[in-house]
Amino acid sequence: MSVARHGPLIVGYDGGDCAKAALAEAIRLAEPLRAEIVLVSGAHVQRTGSEVADFAAVVRERAQGVLEEGLEAARAAGVHVRGEIVEQRVADGLTELGERESAQMIVVGSHGERPLRGALLGSTPHRLLQQSETPVLVVRA
Amino acid sequence: MATITPAAPDLGGDKGLKKDAIGFLSSFVIGVASTAPGYSLAASLGFVVAVAGVGLQAPAVFIVSFIPMLLIASSYYYMNRADPDCGTTFSWVTRAMGPSAGWLGGWAIIVADIIVMANLAQIAGLYSFLLVGWQSAADSTVAVTAVGVVWIAIMTWICVIGIELSARMQMGLLAAEITTLSIFAVVAFVQVASGNAGPDAVDPSLSWINPFAISDFGALVNGVLIAVFIYWGWDSTVTVNEESENSSEGPGKAALWATVALVLIYVLVSYAAQAWDGPKTLVDNSEDVLSVLGKDVFGSPLDKILIIAVLTSAAASTQTTILPTARTSLSMARVGAAPEGLGHVHSRYMTPHNSTILMGVFSTLWYVGLTIVSENILFDSIAALGLMIAFYYGLTGFACVIYYRRQIFRNVKTLLLIGVGPFLGGVMLLGIFLKSCWDYADPANSESGDSWFGLGPPLVIGVGFLLFGVVLMLFWRRSHPAFFDRKLEVADPRILDRGPAGEAAPL
Repeated sequence: MSVARHGPLIVGYDGGDCAKAALAEAIRLAEPLRAEIVLVSGAHVQRTGSEVADFAAVVRERAQGVLEEGLEAARAAGVHVRGEIVEQRVADGLTELGERESAQMIVVGSHGERPLRGALLGSTPHRLLQQSETPVLVVRA
Repeated sequence: MATITPAAPDLGGDKGLKKDAIGFLSSFVIGVASTAPGYSLAASLGFVVAVAGVGLQAPAVFIVSFIPMLLIASSYYYMNRADPDCGTTFSWVTRAMGPSAGWLGGWAIIVADIIVMANLAQIAGLYSFLLVGWQSAADSTVAVTAVGVVWIAIMTWICVIGIELSARMQMGLLAAEITTLSIFAVVAFVQVASGNAGPDAVDPSLSWINPFAISDFGALVNGVLIAVFIYWGWDSTVTVNEESENSSEGPGKAALWATVALVLIYVLVSYAAQAWDGPKTLVDNSEDVLSVLGKDVFGSPLDKILIIAVLTSAAASTQTTILPTARTSLSMARVGAAPEGLGHVHSRYMTPHNSTILMGVFSTLWYVGLTIVSENILFDSIAALGLMIAFYYGLTGFACVIYYRRQIFRNVKTLLLIGVGPFLGGVMLLGIFLKSCWDYADPANSESGDSWFGLGPPLVIGVGFLLFGVVLMLFWRRSHPAFFDRKLEVADPRILDRGPAGEAAPL
């Protein structure tokens, strides 16, 4: 497979230290790979038990805030970057986006946004490794 | 250039939710699991049988209790259609009947949740010891309370970190629960028929489902007030319609089948429980009917499966109780009807952690406090819980009629489902509320038999909380008047022209 892919680098970003490390790595890779960065935050809302709309709005605002922080950091580093919010399970959102954008790779931190949850239900990187057709880069903080 | 492209919700119809995400089976499971039949029966069957004048007619009470619930569910369905997904009593009543009424509705939900958490914890603590067969610990109030508090802490924490029981897991838990309860009923019936049941066994009689065999109307009402609680949560099915497959038809059907399943479970299990060793055993063991009967009917170690059924049922219902309540307080905070901090979500877990933790703390205080004062009062609070539920369900019924008042007379269907049904449901729940206030005014009608200010504890707890709510609201209003200036709204006639998910489905 020597055909160069010039798709973007998809970066899962939740504002945590691991996500920051992933973004830093993506920024470092963006230039040699001649890639744009698509920064992705999750706003997945648990739907059990109704009363969802206001909760979803807060979660979305929160994701937007996190995303904006990350975008600023990336722009300060001088790379091309845009943001995306996915309203589903983050791993699923990253996988789909990876395919849709024909991304070169998906970059995530080694633990997902929720350590304990990850331990119990399987973490985002773990799921990604199993389901993503796009290459996945897992960065340790 | 950086662009942010969140999927902006289109408030008009499709909100970008995954269509077909919830199939018929899942809707059905959510409806039944939210109601937690195992735990509900364990916590209330004994109390219904204990109501003077009800006794063996408990199955009739379960059937009658369902009627107001069914009527109120219709208002849930139509209010959800007007304000999809947005919430329940708090936001709907605010629109239809004004901010003060809405505020009190939200308050009643929160209080009901705090009270039910204490009851849930008590059952969970007790059944944890019964599961491992540690009888002396199960008999110790201190031990049961301690484990109950640990349960509250775990359940609150689970809701904070946002672990959701997947639909598949709920399905598994529910299947286990229903199977266990059914096996229990069948085995109990066989033993009654073959004469191997308890010493006070009674032959099941068809008259047990006849509500008119209850001599005293007041007894029926008191029974219903407790039994209303066992259907609490069933309305979840109607409110998840947006994501359901075939959204104009699917959820309705799922709700219908969930109903049939619940009524069947309750009637079957209460028949079996009563027949096996007569009503007295149930009354004597009100706090844990199923574990006591399970031991006698199944023998060791098979009786453990009934205990597991109740425990898993309690765990599953936690999610469908704490989550919406934390979201109600979040909704209230968002519009300035509650302290701002309750409207925050945790930056990592993306859950309303402040609201959730506060619920857990208040439940613990309530549970431990009441256990120290008097354990009987903890059981009286189940009756008070009925008052809360009657209050906010009734309010929702009237809200539907008022909100849709200009659309009621469009045709027979709207007349029945938007007008007459919710109105009757509201009147019934108001009637139940008033009648039981009257009855609980007499201290003799409570579990503890105590007299507070010359009144029964359930009334003082129930009405006391509502009055306290009024005081809190007035206090809040002084510092935060903006929310209370909200104007009343009326239903847009176009709501009824389209289906629940925005497709054309004329009524």
